[in-house]
Amino acid sequence: MLFRMNILLVEDDSATASFIQKGLSESGYIVDHAVDGEDGLHLALTGSYDALIIDRMLPRRDGLSIVQTLRSRQIDTPVLILSALGEVDNRVEGLRAGGDDYLVKPYAFSELLARLQALLRRSQPTPDQSVLRLRDLEMDLLKRQVKRAGQPINLQPREFTLLEYLLRHAGQVVTRTMLLEKVWDYHFDPQTNVIDVHISRLRSKLDKDFEVPLLHTIRGAGYLLYDPEAA
Amino acid sequence: MTLKLLNTTVFRLSLVYVLLFSLVAAVAMGFIYWVAKDHIAQQTDTRLRLESQVLAEHYRTGSMGSLQETVRLRNRDSARGDKRFFVYALTDQIMSESLKKGEDYFQEGRLTFATLTYAQVLRLVSIPAYASQSDKARTLVTDLQGGWQLLVAADLSEQRALLEKMRGSIWAAIGVIAASAILGGVLMGYYVLRRIDGVSKTATSIIKGDLSQRMTVTNRNDEFDRLSEVLNSMLQRTEQLMQAMREVTDNLAHDLRNPLNRLRNRLDLNRFHKPDVQVLQQTQQDALQDVDDLIKTFNALLSIAQAESGVHRDDWEMVNISALVSDLGELYEAVAEEQDLHLSYHAEQGLQIYGNRQLLAQALTNLLDNAVKYTPTGGQLGLEARQLGQKVEISVYDNGPGIPSEQHERVFERFVRLDNARSSVGNGLGLSLVKAFTDLHGATIHLEDNQPGLRVVLRFDTGNTPRPAVRVGNGHS
Repeated sequence: MLFRMNILLVEDDSATASFIQKGLSESGYIVDHAVDGEDGLHLALTGSYDALIIDRMLPRRDGLSIVQTLRSRQIDTPVLILSALGEVDNRVEGLRAGGDDYLVKPYAFSELLARLQALLRRSQPTPDQSVLRLRDLEMDLLKRQVKRAGQPINLQPREFTLLEYLLRHAGQVVTRTMLLEKVWDYHFDPQTNVIDVHISRLRSKLDKDFEVPLLHTIRGAGYLLYDPEAA
Repeated sequence: MTLKLLNTTVFRLSLVYVLLFSLVAAVAMGFIYWVAKDHIAQQTDTRLRLESQVLAEHYRTGSMGSLQETVRLRNRDSARGDKRFFVYALTDQIMSESLKKGEDYFQEGRLTFATLTYAQVLRLVSIPAYASQSDKARTLVTDLQGGWQLLVAADLSEQRALLEKMRGSIWAAIGVIAASAILGGVLMGYYVLRRIDGVSKTATSIIKGDLSQRMTVTNRNDEFDRLSEVLNSMLQRTEQLMQAMREVTDNLAHDLRNPLNRLRNRLDLNRFHKPDVQVLQQTQQDALQDVDDLIKTFNALLSIAQAESGVHRDDWEMVNISALVSDLGELYEAVAEEQDLHLSYHAEQGLQIYGNRQLLAQALTNLLDNAVKYTPTGGQLGLEARQLGQKVEISVYDNGPGIPSEQHERVFERFVRLDNARSSVGNGLGLSLVKAFTDLHGATIHLEDNQPGLRVVLRFDTGNTPRPAVRVGNGHS
């Protein structure tokens, strides 16, 4: 990472806050912490942050109202909402208020980190590409064709969407839950790990005949599409 | 009870009416009394006038002597008990002036009227007294020619007695009206109080924790019965929700205690060993797995409870079942293949039901998970959706060992795991979740024998129009 990114964490539970703060610092982020809604809003309005992590239930001002206030002042900093409220319509409510992503407690730290990275990537201007590339892998979005080292790879429509998502987040860990949400639009965890099966199918099409694997499994976290030999 | 009765709206209202009615009655009867009194007074005056005229006629036509004789005879008749109670006197003194201190004094030519006491009359003329001194008499003094004056007085005690009786009757009437109104108010108040007391008593025992209590409904079908019926259906719903809530907490206690205990033991046991990185890492890994399982169970229970209480219906929409079935078929085809199973899926085009896509998908995933889990290698699985009259039927089937028909109802209960499933992973909540979600959608769920294997059939009403959203509070802490 060329420069360190600033994150504002608004969370009233000190144990959770220091856990997240520690984890994010180790991952190379600079984290400011506010313990209540008013302080959080003040910092978000005055400071310069690359992303905000906001708990929904906060003393003095609730999380959704912070997001609404920020959005009404044309501040588009990406917001990840943390919440103990789990049902689908709460998620909808959170996203409608202007949150960019929604994470339900309890969650794994790897999930939080992966989602935060996805948000930070989204906030950076990406050129409107019609071809996505990674090493010798090439995805033509208009012709809906995938080639590796010039050889065409045959993908099912869903596999195409899956690979597109992975390519757009190349170099970032994406979790199973994220894939289930973004690729299949299911907001629940099936008992069997269906995602693993689909990833391994995709991997066999993608990496089987090639020396350098691109699709990697990160134990306890998720998957990572990257070129291990790139600098 | 008395104080409570006085505090009822009905009683207070009837008190107001008592006051109002009594006032109206008093005014009406007072008016009658006043008219009657006036009439009686006029009648008395007329009689006095007539009597005086007759006597004055005697004076004019006859001599002074004949008049005196008549007066004497008349007085003798009165003294004998003549009920006319007339007093006659002839005098040469000026009496009309003295009448001015009497009541209702007025003068009319040669006639002067006034109401005097007997004492006052006797001070003017000398006549036999047959009444007490304080009794009143209506007195008419007529100026005769030659300086004589004729005094005729009528005893008023009879009229006064009549008026008194009338006043008494009026007070009695007002009293009766007030008393019966108060009595009516008390009775109505008591009736209302008794009905409301019944409701309060039931409510109190419900507050104390007996949720099975219901309001008494009589066969009178009055407003209290209608209120009680509404309250009863509310209580019914509350009890159901409480029951569901209690089951959830019971099950939570039951099912979370064991894994929590296991987790605790695992961490505890580790303290006795010398710190060994590998053992520590393994313990940590296992503990994380335990916690994840706990969270899964917890979430499943929460979802079931929320579905059963019927909250969160405001994000429902028309769900394209054809698309959902192909999506899920595609998702699980790969999973099945991984286990050397074959999943075939098929959906008729254009199937739609009103519902929540996430919950429907979760229900079907649970069924597919089960099918994959319990069907031995080489087995056949299926997912189908079709229109069946007014209904949309979705079925998930396999050719595995199936479930004996006597167990078909049991498997929907929470934490029930059939013997052959005990060894595999799972929390025994999968089918309970499916049942809760299908119930929420007003659908039916049946287990059938697939000969061999299990076929789970869900039937949804397509006539389901969007129902109004039911939201019970916020549903969260």
